[in-house]
Amino acid sequence: MIDQIKAHVATLLRDKKIAGFLGLIEKNGHVAPHLFRDADALDGFCLGDRHAAGDARYPLNKTLGTIARAYPDDTFGVLVRGCDERGLYGLFRLNQLDKKRVVPVGLGCPGDLALACECKKPFPDSLVAGDQTPAPAPAQVADMENNDLAERFDFWTGQFLKCVKCYGCRDVCPMCFCKECSLECEDLITKGDLPVEIPVFHLTRAMHMADRCVDCGLCDEACPSDIPLRLLYKKTAGIMDTEFGFTSGLNKNERSPLSQMGPSK
Amino acid sequence: MTVLSQMLEFTGIEKERLRARWVSSAEAPEFVEEVNDFINTLTPLGPSPLKATLPAGKDEKAETA
Amino acid sequence: MEYKTTLTTCTYCGCGCNLYLESLDGKLTRTIPCKTSPVNEGKLCIKGWNVHQFVQSDKRLKKPLVRKDGELVEVEWDEAVAFTADRLKTIHGKTGGDSIGFFASAKVTNEENFLMQKFARAGVGTNNVDHCARL
Repeated sequence: MIDQIKAHVATLLRDKKIAGFLGLIEKNGHVAPHLFRDADALDGFCLGDRHAAGDARYPLNKTLGTIARAYPDDTFGVLVRGCDERGLYGLFRLNQLDKKRVVPVGLGCPGDLALACECKKPFPDSLVAGDQTPAPAPAQVADMENNDLAERFDFWTGQFLKCVKCYGCRDVCPMCFCKECSLECEDLITKGDLPVEIPVFHLTRAMHMADRCVDCGLCDEACPSDIPLRLLYKKTAGIMDTEFGFTSGLNKNERSPLSQMGPSK
Repeated sequence: MTVLSQMLEFTGIEKERLRARWVSSAEAPEFVEEVNDFINTLTPLGPSPLKATLPAGKDEKAETA
Repeated sequence: MEYKTTLTTCTYCGCGCNLYLESLDGKLTRTIPCKTSPVNEGKLCIKGWNVHQFVQSDKRLKKPLVRKDGELVEVEWDEAVAFTADRLKTIHGKTGGDSIGFFASAKVTNEENFLMQKFARAGVGTNNVDHCARL
């Protein structure tokens, strides 16, 4: 699987289709993001599978944004899983990346990872290696909704109280790029105060991500308090789907219902 | 609104507690009716469960907000 | 075009979270928590997430400051060290070791902190040792 991707990337680099390939490297005993520039120097390239599939993923699209802004005329390749590619489509839509300047190199996720993520599309369109795992049936949101209102309130209040306001969920998010963040708007959120405003802090972010979140789960993994943020955003995404028939990143040329004016349903 | 009210319900807060209406400044009767209706909705629901989560000293702010 | 990730340890406290400092063409762009670190498992606190910022900050002190006539003035290291040694000696001679306190830092290595407390206890003769990471 890894050899297929390596060969594909080597060809892209040799044919000068891309100026560099943003992927992952194993060095110093750790997995790190890396920009591969030479077709003959792909040693150490890895897929972010450390102890289990996809347990050492990084927000590569975010880094791609940084590099692309500094080198707007160059084309870059980037390692994508299903969620990362949905993220790319979203970033194209939001004019954060130029789709003519990005070559996704796709990796399909194995069934157990897709199931743990309840992924909507566990393999990218640009599949180079890996399985075409079908999307598993979602259950986590429904499980939460089986609890009554008071139980849900107690659960989420308990979770939100754990928040240490590290802003890691925002900082790690590949879909967060605003220069002015609503989580730093002092009319909404008091600076440096704990506990956070419940549920304002977390719902502000959930609302802001409604048409962006691609359910990659990096926020969940980055949260030092283990707040199930992903479950919260899964619900937001679910509402967007039932109400507006919109799923972030599912289609290449999507438009967000939240950026269209008109009478509400 | 559509999304937020459902998110509130998901996190255990009655969605009836959230309401947004557009009422012109020239429509006083509509405004009164709307506020009265909102009060009639809120009274049976009782105080917000969120109040109990506020640390001491923050109550004041919540009431005036 | 030089993109680099440098594996390092957070300097803010004694936990020792591993993180990558991401740089593009020699300038730091971002902090990324190290996913494979057994210490922090891909998580950071708000200080750690912003650890790249103070390195390139204009407000960063690059030279020691000595108060002269009520104003802090930038001086060379030799002068600052000579001044400090001189004052420590004077105070130590006048009122003894316990009138001096030593404040260590979590931003330096264990070895440097060891040296400092050794200097305080064995050299100056005081147990007045504390540190900034009393979190």
